[in-house]
Amino acid sequence: MTRTPILELRGIDKSFGAVQVLHDVALSAYAGEVTALVGDNGAGKSTLVKCIGGIHPIDAGDYLFEGRPVQVHSPRDAAELGVEIVYQDLALCDNLDIVQNMFLGREKRRGAFLDDSTMEEMAAATLKGLSVRTVKSLRQKVSSLSGGQRQTVAIAKAVLWNSKLVILDEPTAALGVAQTAQVLELVRRLADNGLAVVLISHNMNDVFAVSDRIAALYLGRMAAQVTTSDVTHAQVVELITSGRSGDLGLTTTANGAAA
Amino acid sequence: MKAGPSQEEIRQHNLGALLRHVHLGGPTSRADLATRMGLNRSTILALVNDLTAAGLVREELPQVTGRAGRPSLVVRPVATRAHVLALDVGVERLTAALIGLGGVFLDRRECAWSPERPQDPAEVADILAEYADDVLSAAPAGGSCVGVAVAVRGIVRHPDGLVSLTPNMGWKDVDLAAELSGRLHLDVPVPVLVANEANLGALAEHRRGGGRGSQNLIYLHGEIGIGAGIVVDGELLRGGRGYAGEIGHITVNPHRGRPCGCGAHGCLEAEAGERALLEAAGRDPRVTGAGAVRAVVTAADLGDVTARAALHRVGDWLGIGIGTLANLFNPDLIVFGGTLRDVYLGSAAQVRSRVNTSALFACREHLRLRVSELGGDAILIGAAELAFSELLARPLETLSPHAEEGAPIPRGSRRGQLAVNPLPLEPADHGNDPGHGPGVRAGLGLDR
Repeated sequence: MTRTPILELRGIDKSFGAVQVLHDVALSAYAGEVTALVGDNGAGKSTLVKCIGGIHPIDAGDYLFEGRPVQVHSPRDAAELGVEIVYQDLALCDNLDIVQNMFLGREKRRGAFLDDSTMEEMAAATLKGLSVRTVKSLRQKVSSLSGGQRQTVAIAKAVLWNSKLVILDEPTAALGVAQTAQVLELVRRLADNGLAVVLISHNMNDVFAVSDRIAALYLGRMAAQVTTSDVTHAQVVELITSGRSGDLGLTTTANGAAA
Repeated sequence: MKAGPSQEEIRQHNLGALLRHVHLGGPTSRADLATRMGLNRSTILALVNDLTAAGLVREELPQVTGRAGRPSLVVRPVATRAHVLALDVGVERLTAALIGLGGVFLDRRECAWSPERPQDPAEVADILAEYADDVLSAAPAGGSCVGVAVAVRGIVRHPDGLVSLTPNMGWKDVDLAAELSGRLHLDVPVPVLVANEANLGALAEHRRGGGRGSQNLIYLHGEIGIGAGIVVDGELLRGGRGYAGEIGHITVNPHRGRPCGCGAHGCLEAEAGERALLEAAGRDPRVTGAGAVRAVVTAADLGDVTARAALHRVGDWLGIGIGTLANLFNPDLIVFGGTLRDVYLGSAAQVRSRVNTSALFACREHLRLRVSELGGDAILIGAAELAFSELLARPLETLSPHAEEGAPIPRGSRRGQLAVNPLPLEPADHGNDPGHGPGVRAGLGLDR
C-alpha cells in the first residue's frame, strides 16, 4: 500500500513513573478505512488513544499526521490537526440540547451574540450527511435521548469540525442490538465519507463487521496490524491473548525484546 | 435496420436521463446536470423546461448556498406529480406503498399475516388491491400512477412474470400480475410487474442504498429462506428464464445436512436460515421472523451460551456460502438484508473468518460486507424503482395518457445532441412497444 496514512505512529514509548505502558508502538490509520484497535484490558489501548489526542505527551517516537511529523502537546493541538476522540462516557451535557452540545466550547458567534441559526443549520447538515434519521428535534435535551442516540450525537459532534481522524472508544458497549447496529452503520459511514476511523472494541463481531484493518495491542506492544480480509477470529483472539498467532505477532514474548 | 436514432428518440432519451439523475440524485443544479450528462447548458435548459411543463420537476433556489454570487437554481423532482404502487407479499406482512418520484414514500398500508393467513393468490390479490385503492384514493391531487410492481418471495419467470414457485405459500405457476391488474382501479391502466424480492433489494441497494457506485454487488435477503440479487457490471443477473440467484439452494453440506424445503439436503438456507438458527438456539423453529431472530442475537449479546453457539454455527455456514459467491462473482460488495442483517451483525467474526479461509485471496481482498442501508424498506424501494422504469425511459410518452388528469404535456423543443454517460441500469427496451394498454407485462425488464 503506497497511500500515505492520515495518522502514522512509529516507536511510541510512554511511561507513567516506573511503569512503561507503551513499548515501541506503531499504528497507521488510513482515510476511508476503519482501523479496529483491539487488546485485553490493560494492554494500553486507552493510553495510546490519549497520546494521540494530546492528553498524555509521548516519551519517544514519531507522530506523523498526513505524512508530516507533528508535535501534539494538548487536546487543542490534536483538534487543530483534525483529530477528534469520542470517549466511552461521551462527555455530553444532559441539561443542554443537541445543538448546544455539539458546539459546546466552540460556539459560533455573530458579534456579541451566539449565532443559533447557523449552529442549528450546521448541526442539521452534519446529521443529514451521516444519514441520521433517529433524532426527531435538534432542540431536544440530551437527557431525553436513548443510549444509541447519545452516541450518535457524540459522533456527529466529532465530525462537525472537518475532522480527518475520529477515534471511538467502545462506542457500542452498553447498547442493545438494534442500537448497536445503528452505531456500527454510522461508524462505517464516517469511513465511507472519507474519514480515517479508529475503533476500539472488545466485541469481535463489531470488529469484523466494520473494520478494514485490525491492530492488536498486547501488553503495551503492537502485536500485529493486519487487514480484516486476511485473518480469522481465532487468529485475532490469539494475538490479543498471547501476542502472536502463527507467523503473525511478536517474535518473542513480552518479557524479552520487542518484535 | 435503422440509420440511427431520430431526434425525437434522442430527446426522449435525454429527458429520461435527466429525470433519472434528479430522481436518484435529488435536487441538482443545471450546471451539475450539464457536466454529468455531457450536454450543453442550452440543451439542459430545454429539457428542464419540458419536464417542468409536464410537472415532473421544479426549479427552485437552493436552501443554503454558503457562497457568494447569484445562486444557481436546482432542479428538484416533484414527488406528487408521478407516483407508483410498490406492493410486497412478505413472509410476515403484506404491504402497499405509494412512492413518489424521487423515492419519496407518500403513503403506505400494511397488515401482519396471521397464522391462518390466506394462501390463495386471489385472496392475497384482494387484500393488496384494497390497500392499493386506499393509498391511491388518498394520493395527492394532480398525481398520476405510472407503474405498479409487486415483490414476491419466490422465483419469477422472465419475461412474463409468472410466479413459478413460492416455497412458503405453496404457490405454483401463479399469474399474480393478472390477478392484480384485474382488481386495481387505476384511471389509466399500467402494466403490473412482478419480481423476486432479493432482485428488487439488489436494485434498491444499487441505486439508493450502500451499493451506489458499486457495479458488482450481491444483495442477500434472509427471511425464512435466503435469496440473492446479483448485480454484475451494473446489470442484474437474470439467467435464462429469470431464476438466477437462488443462493439459498446451493448445497453446502450434502452428506449430513439438514433437509431443505426444496427436497434436497444441506442447502445453505437449511443450514443458515432462520429455522436452523432458532433450532440451534433451542427455540421454537415454527415461530420465525425478525423478532425471533433478534431475540437470539440479543440473548447472545447478553451472554447466552446456546444462542452464541447457534450464531457461531450459522455464521460459519453463511461464510461458506459467501466464500462461494466471492469466488464465482468477485463482487466488491455484499449487502445483508432482511433478518440476515441482525444475523450478520451477531456473527460477523465467524462469517468473515470463514470467507477469509474459503475464498481465494484475490477474490476476497477488496470484498466489503455490509448491512443494508435501506433496512426494512429495501424491497419496497426496489419495487418502486422497477415500477418507475417506464417513466424514466420515456417520461413524456409515459405521462401522456395521464395528461387530462394533470398538467398538459409539452411537445416542445427538439435537440439533436445525445447525452453521454447515462446512468447504470439504464431501462431501455427501445425495441418494445411502450404498451400503455391494459395489457400485462411483467418481470425485471429494466436491466439494460
